Amino acid sequence: MKEKDIILEIPYGTRDFLPGEAARKREIETRISSIFTLFGYDEVVTPTIEYLSTLTTEGEAIEPHLFKFFDKQNRTLALRHEMTTPIARVVASRMRGEPLPIRLSYVSNVCRYEEAQAGRQCEFYQAGVELMGSSSPAADAEVIALAATCIKDAGLKDFQICLGNVKFINGLMKDFGLDTSEQDEIRRMMEKHDLVGLRGTLGGTSLDDGQREVLASLPLLHGGDEVIERARGIAANDESREALGNLMEIYRLLKSYGVDEFVYFDLGVIRDFSYYTGMVFEAYTPGLGFPLAGGGRYDRLLSDFGSPCPATGFALGIERLMLALEREGRYAERHAGGVFIAYAEGKRDEAIREATRYRSEGIAASLATSPMSEAEANDCPLRRRYESLAYIK
Amino acid sequence: MEATSSEYLTIALPKGKLFSLSAELLAKAHLSADNLSEDSRKLVIENERDKVRFIISKTVDVPTYVEYGAADIGIIGKDVLTESGRDVYELLDLGFGKCHLMMAVPSDKRRGRLTDYAHTRVATKFPRIAEQFFARHGMQMEYVKLNGSIELGPIVGLSESIVDIVETGRTLKENNLTEIVSIMDATARLIANRVSFRLKFARIHRLMEDIEEILKKNH
Repeated sequence: MKEKDIILEIPYGTRDFLPGEAARKREIETRISSIFTLFGYDEVVTPTIEYLSTLTTEGEAIEPHLFKFFDKQNRTLALRHEMTTPIARVVASRMRGEPLPIRLSYVSNVCRYEEAQAGRQCEFYQAGVELMGSSSPAADAEVIALAATCIKDAGLKDFQICLGNVKFINGLMKDFGLDTSEQDEIRRMMEKHDLVGLRGTLGGTSLDDGQREVLASLPLLHGGDEVIERARGIAANDESREALGNLMEIYRLLKSYGVDEFVYFDLGVIRDFSYYTGMVFEAYTPGLGFPLAGGGRYDRLLSDFGSPCPATGFALGIERLMLALEREGRYAERHAGGVFIAYAEGKRDEAIREATRYRSEGIAASLATSPMSEAEANDCPLRRRYESLAYIK
Repeated sequence: MEATSSEYLTIALPKGKLFSLSAELLAKAHLSADNLSEDSRKLVIENERDKVRFIISKTVDVPTYVEYGAADIGIIGKDVLTESGRDVYELLDLGFGKCHLMMAVPSDKRRGRLTDYAHTRVATKFPRIAEQFFARHGMQMEYVKLNGSIELGPIVGLSESIVDIVETGRTLKENNLTEIVSIMDATARLIANRVSFRLKFARIHRLMEDIEEILKKNH
């Protein structure tokens, strides 16, 4: 019988974290989850697999990107593609009736079947929070400030947070009397930032030239708080004006948090509009062509699970943050601490006691697996990974 | 020096027919560099004074450079952009580089209706656009991906039809092919990376305004 071929590859879109990489990943995750705790968020862990129908509660569009399989009863299961939906399920079922607001956090792997990109494989890691039970701008400001704090404390210097509100555009479109299918098409063009297609779509509607110009120029409403002033000039309806008021209040609170220097406004479509219902934001850093983090207010999701409740939150890509830190050169100097313990023939028990003593003081101690001479210990490859050598003779 | 530095604006330009038109347009908008030529042996050409950098690449790679943020902006034909399926921002229709994507068959083998060609073989450089087009007509086709001389397909019996770009229609005539359906008309587009669009908004927005001004004058 032919011996089975050994398979050394891993499935498309997955990766191994080797020592060093894994240590950096753990370090960032630990730092971020301690910040979550400092802000009063409790960690939750949910299953990697869910029923397909749970994950597609907010629409079928995601389905082609899910890894799917069957359980024994032939029900379709899928690997979770994000954490907000599973957490909404938990809150709407097992945590129903808990006093509001509920603050939850996670650091998890998620899976999406898509082309692997910079800092994102099909399986990737996200850290994030959900704040459920408050529709106040204070809740939105808190999650934005938390995202900024995580990125800053991870060591990244150069980044920007772009803030918008979906109600601004929705208000304009309703006010202009566009029907739902026209609105959907315009949103789709804005979401892709296809400004050429957007002009084409607007040309096919019954809008007057002034209204067309307003919608066509929305993706260009980007900048500091002067953008809000400019937007006020075109917001002739209550919903849009409320959206701007909401953004200014969030911005004011972000000043108190001391993170306003990172914040810019962008009144175009930042994120998928079918899902978000208010504030939306994304974080960017130069040199990484994809967003580092993103989030927003999603007041409909929990009612789709039968338990209406306003909610806001964000998710941050761990690998993307690692990549950005690496590009800023924040990983350059890493001090190897710890001690390598080698021992002469017959001294193993003493060496074990010595290692235990170091460890109880919180110092990493790597113990040789066999006796060796002092010269051998000095030359040993393991020795070079630790700051010092303790030789027991 | 990293190609992604934040003070530079990095522009990806495609070699080939769009190159000189793109370079000319950008020069009018005050973005140029000495020795900017598609025959340049250097693949990255820098203008230190104006903080502009040009990446000269193969046409099909322009959307890739831009999607990954290796270039902040780029100029590319709508045909190549659509075929690439890359997630980039499409900012302006530049109007030049007009071409026409269509389906053609040997003149003596025309069939009555488009759907009569279902389940036949199509030779094309644009399988993604072709598939989307035929799917809209409820047709399944067999796609034969070629990288050049598409019109050869039906002549040598590789396919029943072709989906290809035509500019003048001469190549079609010379090879006894007849256009049976138009798929899309394309022109050059200004595209941008989604992160650069925000982080370098002031510069990119000014460029858009300058280009719109120039295009208006040309009309």
